[in-house]
Amino acid sequence: MIYSWKTIVKHGLPLLTLCILIEIFAGQILQSNQQQLFLIPVFLISIPVINAVAGNIGSILGARLASGLHLGLIELSVNDKNMQKNVITSLLIGLITYTILAILIYYIAYIGNITMNVGVTAFVSIILGTGIILILIISLISVLTAFLSFKRGLDPDDMVAPVVTTVGDTLGIIFLFVIIGVVGV
Amino acid sequence: MYAKEMVKQSLPLLIICGLGAIIAGNTLGAMIQILQSIPGLIVVIPAIIALRGNISTALGSRLGSAYHLGIIDAENMWNDDFKQNIIGSLVLSFIMSFIIGIFAYITSIFFNVYPNPVVLILIVLIAGGISGLILTFLTIIIIYLVFRRGYDPDNITGPALATFGDIVTMGCIFASALFVGGFA
Repeated sequence: MIYSWKTIVKHGLPLLTLCILIEIFAGQILQSNQQQLFLIPVFLISIPVINAVAGNIGSILGARLASGLHLGLIELSVNDKNMQKNVITSLLIGLITYTILAILIYYIAYIGNITMNVGVTAFVSIILGTGIILILIISLISVLTAFLSFKRGLDPDDMVAPVVTTVGDTLGIIFLFVIIGVVGV
Repeated sequence: MYAKEMVKQSLPLLIICGLGAIIAGNTLGAMIQILQSIPGLIVVIPAIIALRGNISTALGSRLGSAYHLGIIDAENMWNDDFKQNIIGSLVLSFIMSFIIGIFAYITSIFFNVYPNPVVLILIVLIAGGISGLILTFLTIIIIYLVFRRGYDPDNITGPALATFGDIVTMGCIFASALFVGGFA
């Protein structure tokens, strides 16, 4: 027998506790702005989507960078062409995914008779704005985490996904409220 | 390292995961009344979704590695290593759910929000425990199907669990909030 539940718990607890602490901070930002979310529920509905897409893209990018580093196809340099290509592709994928999902969210909410208080153009622009800034920052964090962990002899595969999803959840919620404020709903 | 292949292979999966997240989001949207009536409840939402994702994808990837190492396979799945992995994930779910409830309660006080600690912790504990059980069961089914077809579990379990995870977790927290809120 290789696995023991005690080791799994012991190894899992520190990182999970750290992640949870940051997620609770994200939750507190939600609570402080909850009146706005209850007033325009379509933004509340969007939060799991914004976070899921950013977390997934950041994790895919991180996994690709990790494989590239392990195989020696990517070098630890800001000028590495393969790394840059992967980052740009992630941004492009983010752009397409957020556009499609934002339109879907809006019309599903519309059909579901949910109070809108926001037009489709303003809504899609807000989600897209939040999404693009988020993916940009998440890609940088993904590259940084992958490079730093690889440099220190840690496996980027273990590090990138938890870092990217946790930081992404918090930043996603912050950016959403900032962009809502800027666009002014 | 081709960018085109990344778009072709990832995009459909991302959209499907996004659809799962829309269902989770609509569950959250349906919870507005109960979110208003139980202070502190909204604080635990990102944490509990993230917890589920972290614990079940870790379980999925450990079982994936175990498969590659030849420790488990379709004929010999239900062995001791497999059970230890399952127990480990469930124990982590319970401990971390409890920690989420405590953290949410304590940090709320700093923001001048005073949740009922028993209600909040109970909601998270029930939601975290039940969603942990459901997702572990789902992981077992997914892994079993993947093994039987001879696919690589590493390619399938992550996204599949991420999609189901959000929906199941939101459903469980809604049900648990209704249940505990009904007594409070």
